Amino acid sequence: MRAARIPKRAWVGLGLLVGLGLASWLAGRVFPEALAHTCPLGRDPTHPDRTVCELAFGGLWVSLVIGLAAGGVSTAVGLGVAMAARAAGGFVEHQILRAVDAFFALPDVLVVMVLQLAGQSLLDAGQAGGLGPFGLMVVSLALVGWAGPARMFRNRLATLEGQEFVAASRALGAGRWHLLRLHLWPALRPFVLAVFLSRLPTAILTESTVSFFGIARMEPMSLGRYLGTSYAALIYEGGSRVVLPAWGLLVLLVLGASLASQALGAGTRRA
Amino acid sequence: MSSVLVRLGRQVVLVPLVALASYFLMAALPLTSDDEAKRQVSPEVLASYRRDLGLGEPLGFLRPWQKLWRGERLGTSAQGVTGDELAWKLSGSVGVGLVALGLALGWALGFALLRARWRRSRLSLVTDMLPAAAFGTPVFIPALLFAPEVVERGHLLPEACAALVISVWPGIFLGTLVADALDTELARDYVRTALGKGLSPRAVLWRHVLPNVLPALLDAVGPVATALLAGSFAAERVFGLPYFGQLYVLAVLQKQVAVVVVATTVFASLLVGVGLVVESVRFLVDPRAREAAS
Repeated sequence: MRAARIPKRAWVGLGLLVGLGLASWLAGRVFPEALAHTCPLGRDPTHPDRTVCELAFGGLWVSLVIGLAAGGVSTAVGLGVAMAARAAGGFVEHQILRAVDAFFALPDVLVVMVLQLAGQSLLDAGQAGGLGPFGLMVVSLALVGWAGPARMFRNRLATLEGQEFVAASRALGAGRWHLLRLHLWPALRPFVLAVFLSRLPTAILTESTVSFFGIARMEPMSLGRYLGTSYAALIYEGGSRVVLPAWGLLVLLVLGASLASQALGAGTRRA
Repeated sequence: MSSVLVRLGRQVVLVPLVALASYFLMAALPLTSDDEAKRQVSPEVLASYRRDLGLGEPLGFLRPWQKLWRGERLGTSAQGVTGDELAWKLSGSVGVGLVALGLALGWALGFALLRARWRRSRLSLVTDMLPAAAFGTPVFIPALLFAPEVVERGHLLPEACAALVISVWPGIFLGTLVADALDTELARDYVRTALGKGLSPRAVLWRHVLPNVLPALLDAVGPVATALLAGSFAAERVFGLPYFGQLYVLAVLQKQVAVVVVATTVFASLLVGVGLVVESVRFLVDPRAREAAS
């Protein structure tokens, strides 16, 4: 079976993501002093010790890492649940799917806010199991984000298992593990990447919104927390120079992930 | 009909499940009483939270609802809420959400028409990129851009501005769905047949195509309602509107756990209510839904 060609739009999205990741890593982590001395946007009036570029690129790195970690965990959990549901089949699969649908109907922002409240209370009481604000945010986002991928993977697995090559392999005596390793997983792999990329913008936007409210205590600041703590700058003359760069980076980040996931998703559906 | 009732029953049963899950989650929290840390609560407030949640009492999970029913204040005196205040705040958020829904339908129609008109021109790139840009912009960003005019200078009505900023993403989302559904329906054989028999394009659109597009629109109402209500949280926070979203965010920030339990359940009930209305409308307008139910 010839590998499906990756669409041009997916390359654009992936290039944008990698470019932003590299830029934030180089600017925020490797050469932070370069931004401190050469930032054309000047200092942030609400954080006078830092330049706008330092805060925006530092926030971009944190938002990206949170998105990648939360997207990765949600995708892995979703895949595990889907495989368990398919392996169980019948009544158990039906009940798992109903639970998945109930979770999927919950609004992300609201549930993450409640989970953050619970997590921070555990953190304050020293019972968070070694998780810091970053870990808490990733766990909260993964807890609300696994249901969508689980539904998508289950449907994809059901479609793949109905294909002739799987039936032929079964007829030749292939076991469940052999089928999964040699036939289902190679066909599922591009779809897993597309689903992971589709979780990325959702996780980043949810984290940004919750951090903007001041509920998450992300340190160093993510883009959302930075915007939440700096928006008072808008009341000063020229304050938009503080808000617009962070917004632009957030939009580009989400745009890159959306373009890549949509193009890869469409490609795998056609394949 | 019975399958419709079963589906409705499944939605309604979610409300007590959410109420119990949020209650037991909040009741299990170790709310520490150390005054040193900024976000931790004082012993008096902690005792008040325990009373609110009815911890240690038989049927304690009914305590927050009992207090609301009796007209007592839930939470600490300064930041708590009574049943009447909760209803007022909810009506404010729902009002903003309804105005936003109207605006979103307007955006959706405009976007779908633009996409249809620009489909084969270079401008189609704009309608391709617009959903990604709208999706990539959290509600608080446009709210922040309006904030100086609304909050500082008082030039614009905060409620109208909140409705405007939260309507953009749902509008573009609905517009994309309507445009896709229109594209699919317009390419079908029955449209060609109707046009071939001499029916005007307008009549074909209104009488045959749009009724088939409506179910796709109804499917999107649930996610859109969630997006409007969740978006109202951010808009209310930025514009300082004292409604349900602001109440919820403050309750979480101030660890008003009983208010969080009640507000979460009310939010879930609202979404279930929207789901019931959508199912009823679908039953009325979509003959396929009626056939499937019978």
